[in-house]
Amino acid sequence: MEWQTAVDFALSLAREHRESDVDVLLNRSESLAIKVLNHRVEKVDQSTAQGLGVRVVKDGRTGIAYTERLEPPAIEKAFLAARENAELPDPTEVVMNRALPEVPDPATLELFNPALDALTVDDLARFGLEAEAAAFAADARVKAVPYTVVKRENGRYLVASTHGMRYSQHSNSVGAYCSAMLDSGTQRKSGTYAWASRAWDATQGAALGREAAGRGAALLGARSIPGGRLPVVLDEYVAPDLLSMYLGNFSAEAAQKGMSRLRGRLGEPIADAAIALTDDPHRVGAPGSRYLDAEGVATQPLPLIEGGVFRNFLYHVESARKDGRESTGHAGRGYSGGISTRTHSVVMPTGTHDLDALCAIPERCLLVTELEGGAGCNPVSGDISIGVQGYLIEGGRRMQPVDSVTIAGNFFDLLRNIRAVGDRYQPNLTNRFIPALLVEGLVLSG
Amino acid sequence: MLSDSSVRKVLELGLSRGADFAEVFAEDSEVSGIDLLDRKVEDISSGNSFGVGVRLLFGDEAYYGYSSDAAEEQLLKLTENLARAHAEGAPGSLSVFRVESVLDRHPVRVAPDNVPKRERVELLRHLDELTRQQGEAIRQVGASVMEKHRSVLIANSEGLWVEDSRQYARLRLAAIAEKGDGPQTATESPGVLGGYEFFQGLDAERITSEAAQAALRMAGAGYIDGGTMPVVLGNGFGGVIFHEACGHPLETEAIRKNASPFAGKVGEAVAQPILTAIDDGTLANRWGSLNVDDEGQPAQRTVLIENGILKGYLSDRIGARQVGVARTGSARRESYRFAPVSRMRNTYIDRGPHTVEDMIASVDYGLYARKMGGGSVDPATGEFNFAVQEGYVIRKGKIAEPVRGATLIGKGFEVLPLISMIGNDLELAAGMCGASSGWVPTTVGQPTLKIDRILVGGR
Repeated sequence: MEWQTAVDFALSLAREHRESDVDVLLNRSESLAIKVLNHRVEKVDQSTAQGLGVRVVKDGRTGIAYTERLEPPAIEKAFLAARENAELPDPTEVVMNRALPEVPDPATLELFNPALDALTVDDLARFGLEAEAAAFAADARVKAVPYTVVKRENGRYLVASTHGMRYSQHSNSVGAYCSAMLDSGTQRKSGTYAWASRAWDATQGAALGREAAGRGAALLGARSIPGGRLPVVLDEYVAPDLLSMYLGNFSAEAAQKGMSRLRGRLGEPIADAAIALTDDPHRVGAPGSRYLDAEGVATQPLPLIEGGVFRNFLYHVESARKDGRESTGHAGRGYSGGISTRTHSVVMPTGTHDLDALCAIPERCLLVTELEGGAGCNPVSGDISIGVQGYLIEGGRRMQPVDSVTIAGNFFDLLRNIRAVGDRYQPNLTNRFIPALLVEGLVLSG
Repeated sequence: MLSDSSVRKVLELGLSRGADFAEVFAEDSEVSGIDLLDRKVEDISSGNSFGVGVRLLFGDEAYYGYSSDAAEEQLLKLTENLARAHAEGAPGSLSVFRVESVLDRHPVRVAPDNVPKRERVELLRHLDELTRQQGEAIRQVGASVMEKHRSVLIANSEGLWVEDSRQYARLRLAAIAEKGDGPQTATESPGVLGGYEFFQGLDAERITSEAAQAALRMAGAGYIDGGTMPVVLGNGFGGVIFHEACGHPLETEAIRKNASPFAGKVGEAVAQPILTAIDDGTLANRWGSLNVDDEGQPAQRTVLIENGILKGYLSDRIGARQVGVARTGSARRESYRFAPVSRMRNTYIDRGPHTVEDMIASVDYGLYARKMGGGSVDPATGEFNFAVQEGYVIRKGKIAEPVRGATLIGKGFEVLPLISMIGNDLELAAGMCGASSGWVPTTVGQPTLKIDRILVGGR
């Protein structure tokens, strides 16, 4: 069954069964990926994935079901399951949105480039082979390039309800990843780099491989440094990754359930007075951009922090009704799950320092260029404890590469201790526009 | 799920286009879940996943595609597209299917469909109540049940035809405690390859007490001063470090890429003689067990390290071919959306001669990491990073104050020889493992053990 027809069929079942509060969400994605190993394409993956999710709301009770088979019997089974699943839960404040906002044309968000869908296995293979070759050629100490992946994908998203809401978006991207393993004889280091874009550039393959090898080479010879309190510069790749782990604290739902330390702190200073943070759903080209959220609520830019002061929580319909206010348009949902709170594009304005200038501000600091997994970071308490790699900087000069150290602190202290911000965002497609940060107060263990 | 003739046509098409091996993997899965949070059952969900994956091998090159449309013409088109991506080779021929019967080592005693959903809701409410009774500082409880039934069909051009049925059940309980300086979470997540009898047999008192007491202790805890020190690593989920830092580099998926510190080391000592490590896919009803792997091979018990000597790797078809080892029934994938690769099943360090008391008593100053959280590893370098969910300072041979926010970092192959004492309290714990073929259920495990020195990140 054609995917748009499948959505119409699900809604017709709602009418037939006299269910007035039903919405249907469909995701469909197509991708083509190649993997390169030892100067050959070793794997080609080609896929079409789809799923249709049905949400039924009855007297504030929500039932959810999905199917990946877009055929009438499977869709009917999912619809009936969602209906049955709506019988047992506790009632909540959830309602289906009846207001139908004027919606701008999603094409103005510029999330789709038709040229990418024309890329063939050969195009992607050439890119990957050049990346791998460039990684090997960049440094004699590159002993293996275990991961080189090039992928293009496109996704469609359609949400429609029994209240007449219907919104769809179409987006695509192309990306690549290369990881080189270097061995100096006494030490092994991985150098990894990723590229993600909505514009194809065949010359980026070689650049990707060189960058991956270069990053690994620069870390060879790394050793630990003594522990203690040391200013830390998180580069423009690391800063968004680290801060993203804690953005759940801005969810009103989390606060209502006692899972955010921002509960009860609206209007209070929570960050350095120079810091602003905004969620921008309309940023052109950003993969998270959309005009309507998953509940059909119009999205709008929302300041989270202004002048260091905590300004707004992120709401969906249910959490908003609990607090007696309107949804801010931050409902997210995949076809297999329920409504959750999501950000669109989180933006922290850039400053004036480039990375070198930022590193030269303190007499001595640790420049962090790699995070080693976030398992020691507790998104609820804000605790940060994470292994890092990077460079010891003294007087603005790189003195040595550093590994076998951890940094520790708390996200809420970190916000207050941001001393300066960098002048650019990392160049890849992203939903996190956060520049490099110079932070004080973190504790280093080595 | 698919007719014999459709599968035959797909495989024959692949072979006719020069593939030396063709495989069809079809899956029909039903999943259901109930979540309780903030004393409320907010969502009840269910779903059906269905799709077919086709894999063609041309020597060492693999072509994989999948579709959730299983119509014969769609599958032939998919296969044609895959073959077109590869230069043509000599056509091969299809063997006659031989239907392999599957020995079911993991029986389902209570079929989930025979139990009304209301019973699960009552269980969640009971767990919520028991957890909250553990202390006033318990501020929030989250609990969920997940059940999944996977029917899979694996057929290949060598004539293999295997159908398997896999029923999973898992509980997740999170207790959140607060004593004035931010909420602390502790979780318990047991699971089985089995039916509803798992929920009926749960020791609710023990599970709720474990989660609540750990959250309460951590809510009042301070921080450890970081540095290099001896660590006594608790049993059960403590095995996640071996899983990440040694298990992944022992998969042929890493070995064949020369991206493992263990490549070429079979027969060499990689640990002290006290240490034996096993990956066993046959343990009855264990979360990481299998009847057959996702290439249709019967699951096996694979000794990885015996008395400190590296014995072997975990392998799939491609890994076995490229590394030159036998297949171990370890090919796994999250769903039809992934080609299979070598993965762990139930991986554990075997029991040793020591007691927890012996180990604690042997440490002048160090960390007792009673319970581990998650972590990650770079398989190429062995560098790992793990969170300690529940930790205590060891002072002069005794367990002292609780500490939170600690992490353990090191390199797997360097830490392995530093394991000097192993306890007799082997325990296994369920987890989800993510890698190139998606998220699969795996069990980690170990007795309590002592690592002579490791870097502890603290404050």
